[in-house]
Amino acid sequence: MSFKAFETDDFVVSADSITAGLWTGNSPELTAFYTSSTQVASSNGAYYINVYNSESYEDIQFAIAYGDVDGSGSLEFDSAVAGKSPSSTNYGQYRTLVLGDENAEFAFGGVTAPNFYAISIDRNRYKEGLFPGSTTLDLKVGSNTISLTDNSQVVTSVEFNDAGRVFQLVSGSAGTVVDTTSTGGGTNGYSASGSYGLFLPDIATYLLNPSALDAAVSDGGILLSTTRGDNVDSANAGRLYNAFVDAASFTANSEETITSDFIFVRPRSSEFNYSENPSFISGSTGEVLYSSFINNPTTYITTVGLYNNSSELLAVAKLSTPLPKDFTKEALVRVKLDF
Amino acid sequence: MGYLNNSVVTVDAILTTRGRQLLAQNDGSFIITQFALADDEIDYTLYNPEHPSGSAYYGQAIEGMPLLEAFPNETQIMKYKLTTLPRGTAKMPILDVGYTNIVIKQGASLAITPQTLNYLGGNQSETSGYTATISDVRLFNTFDGVGINTADATALNTSTTTLGTNVSKTVVGTTINLTATTVNTLFGSNTSLSATLVIEGRDSGARIQVPVSVTKVS
Repeated sequence: MSFKAFETDDFVVSADSITAGLWTGNSPELTAFYTSSTQVASSNGAYYINVYNSESYEDIQFAIAYGDVDGSGSLEFDSAVAGKSPSSTNYGQYRTLVLGDENAEFAFGGVTAPNFYAISIDRNRYKEGLFPGSTTLDLKVGSNTISLTDNSQVVTSVEFNDAGRVFQLVSGSAGTVVDTTSTGGGTNGYSASGSYGLFLPDIATYLLNPSALDAAVSDGGILLSTTRGDNVDSANAGRLYNAFVDAASFTANSEETITSDFIFVRPRSSEFNYSENPSFISGSTGEVLYSSFINNPTTYITTVGLYNNSSELLAVAKLSTPLPKDFTKEALVRVKLDF
Repeated sequence: MGYLNNSVVTVDAILTTRGRQLLAQNDGSFIITQFALADDEIDYTLYNPEHPSGSAYYGQAIEGMPLLEAFPNETQIMKYKLTTLPRGTAKMPILDVGYTNIVIKQGASLAITPQTLNYLGGNQSETSGYTATISDVRLFNTFDGVGINTADATALNTSTTTLGTNVSKTVVGTTINLTATTVNTLFGSNTSLSATLVIEGRDSGARIQVPVSVTKVS
């Protein structure tokens, strides 16, 4: 027989969390930020701007969008219909995605806001989601700087909404919250206008609170100057982009759950000791190569094949070096199959 | 006293092309139920039972050799299976299909009934039958296995293939029936088409590969 059936306890399923740097090349920190003038000038440039890591514009890292409940900060689709513009579309889009209620309002640390900046990480950058506690998002306007992180390391219970887990963006870095009360900010790393935003790791999105960023330095802000004029293109997304460029550092990790099937292959001492390898056979009549192989054959396992009931080869594993097998040896090979 | 070697060999498996196809079908056919071991790449003439340093060195030339990574093409891997036979086996099972080279005319039919020599004390047809894999199913209008009526064998024999694409097909049976294609366009400007037929004993693991040619009639 050349096939051996598995037993129930030969299978073990395991799920492991794998983290990696978020940006191109698995780099955890992004230090250079570029936009494509072509994309910014295109029709979708009114909704969002893509941010690249180099001037070759090959890999989008993330996109910045500005959303406003009143449609402020961008040109209206039709001047006869007030309040309907790309910024109101963005607002509605994220409201549906995150809050799941067309009447709900975004609240940052308990303070409601009519607008937000959305930072949506490109799908090719993250595996399954963002890794909480890994973010250090630096912004700089003039000489005013701030580092933001999520408060996943300090919350005692995780909040959920329609977009999965929700954490507040607060002053700090790499999950460590920095209290800003001494410099005019709020407690727990908040600004005087609530938290600095929401961190939504399950949809790889950050929502920034414009009020917190626009506030004076004494209130924990950086004077970002978000503009909410009616029917005017205020280029707010570009304003936030410039703050990224000047700060030159955005650090985060991605997270993925790998489900692995561990299969234990157990050839017993009396099994798999002969081979159909042509070099194991001498001549055309099937004699084994050496007379010593008649009673003491030695084979070398190089390959493990996993089959279904129809004997179709579904998966295959190669050993790094040949594993000797004879009537005095048993082997245990653990095969890992990732899904 | 020394430490016992309690390490477990861990290897990462890859899905074969067929495995990916069955996984995509999502019909329950991707269920791993059995395993086989192979010694692809091993040349047993490198084994030296007369090594002057003793038996610990007989396999010296084999045991340190680096191995290639796995190929996803299921027809190019697990070629030479290890088998379980009674101790004292002097002759290995080998397959006899009656042909060393198959040449068949367009539209003609052929039935192949393999025999396993040196198996269970004689020459006989294996109880579980044989798997036959043709490397390019387009060469045959029919490529069927008959004689094994288990549910798994029937499912394999009736499985669909991608029409018009150069893909392999595997069937199970004690007899393999072939009818060469009548489609002229396949030949282009050629007068014959070639493929390989691999037949494997499902019990013994014995394997034979036979070149197949279909010659154009008109």
